[in-house]
Amino acid sequence: MDIFLSIVSAALASIFLQNLVLERALGANVLLYASRKKEHVVGFAVAITYTTTIASPFIWTLDRLLGDFEYYSVFMPLLYVLTVSVIYIVTLVLIWRFFPTLFKSLRKYVHLSVFNSSVIGALFLYSQQGNDLFAYIGYGFGTGIGFVLAAYLLYAAADRLNSSLVPAAFRGYPIMIVYVGILSLALYAFTGYSTSAV
Amino acid sequence: MENRINLKDGLIKQNMVFMSGMLIAPVIACATTLMKSLAICFVFSFVSVAAILICRLIPRAIVYTIRVTLYTIIAAVCYIPASLLAGLIFGETVVRAAGVYLPILITNSLILSKTETRFYVEPVHHMVRDVFWFVIGFDAACAATGLFREFLASGRIAGAEVPILFTIPALETTFGGFLFVGIGAGLFRGVYNYRKAHAAAAEDEDSLAEYAEDVGEFLVGGHHSKGEREKIRIYKAAVKRAQNENDLLEMEFLSNRDVLAAFEAIVSEGQELGSESQTEDTADTDAEGSQPDESSGVEDAENTEGIT
Repeated sequence: MDIFLSIVSAALASIFLQNLVLERALGANVLLYASRKKEHVVGFAVAITYTTTIASPFIWTLDRLLGDFEYYSVFMPLLYVLTVSVIYIVTLVLIWRFFPTLFKSLRKYVHLSVFNSSVIGALFLYSQQGNDLFAYIGYGFGTGIGFVLAAYLLYAAADRLNSSLVPAAFRGYPIMIVYVGILSLALYAFTGYSTSAV
Repeated sequence: MENRINLKDGLIKQNMVFMSGMLIAPVIACATTLMKSLAICFVFSFVSVAAILICRLIPRAIVYTIRVTLYTIIAAVCYIPASLLAGLIFGETVVRAAGVYLPILITNSLILSKTETRFYVEPVHHMVRDVFWFVIGFDAACAATGLFREFLASGRIAGAEVPILFTIPALETTFGGFLFVGIGAGLFRGVYNYRKAHAAAAEDEDSLAEYAEDVGEFLVGGHHSKGEREKIRIYKAAVKRAQNENDLLEMEFLSNRDVLAAFEAIVSEGQELGSESQTEDTADTDAEGSQPDESSGVEDAENTEGIT
């Protein structure tokens, strides 16, 4: 039960309190790309969730084994990227072998959904928080779900944000960033707001 | 004539922060002070330039899906000296304050996407110049963001107090960063579009002058008749055709002879290209009016810039 609660609480924290995109801006540009099409939202979310969840036990092991090494922080990116690369290649080979049709549709953007700042940044954040293995897994899973939440909110508003009602200079990318900023402000409330000061 | 791939695109037209949004996470969440911004700029410049130059040596025979992992691994190796140097230059406190936003620079779009769609199709000397302007464009935007956010949020510049009537502390937060960059991008694009519209008007006059030089007609100045405007459009179509028929990655300028040859070919084929050119011009304007960087692509694997 403790294990389950540890995973769930870590997942909820990474969805609402420490949402990777809305609270940390990690993967903000991936979000802009993914929100253009519904299938991209799903594809990116699955890839990010899968990679962060599968990578988290390996990252936890690396942190435990090498965490005391003086220059570990300098070598962390290399070790993390190697871990993600192995997972990525093994997964691609398995998909190519058993699901060739899926492989064809994925190959266009799968590398972008795996090698991006949201995945690498999420792994660094787990490491900084120094929790147990199950919390790592929970964060890994919650990161992907948090990305879905942000991507879907942006996807739902994409048509309006790109409409001619928006001034030409702000249409598209600038207004989407402003919109994500407003979502971020809304989510900021979850981190705690005391009315006693008012 | 200018090169078809403008080597200074990275500075303004495809600025990574304000125009294309290729790399915004560190700018939004971390560039809250000038020193942190400079640390980001240093690590980004070092990692990007070194990784792009080294990755150029990787054989293209390896499929991109796999090659991209090598790019990231090489960038992670380049990060090691960059991080150590940043610690020496800016101090460990600044590097530690930058947190995860320095290491994530190893997955920036300049290394993972632009290499394939732009840099590695250019000759090396052009690629170096092109990368240089992209890096300068990002650095300028990041440093300016850090400077303004520090000034507006805390009334300081590089830690030194500056007299200011009010502060906006929310600019230190992530949502403040989103709003700052979003509004900044809108203003940046507004200025860009305004200048572009004026440049296009001036270019009509220039084209006319060049046309006159090439075909021996003097049409400069004053109000132009429909026939004269038609000639300008034909001239532009001729320039485009001449550009397409020459390997512009290998040559800086088109000669008048190239343009004239294309011009004569178009005239001999009839004037339908004039209207074709007009249609293209309109389409270009529409696309760039909304998103100037859309020319760098969106939907397919070769066009997935802006993803990191």
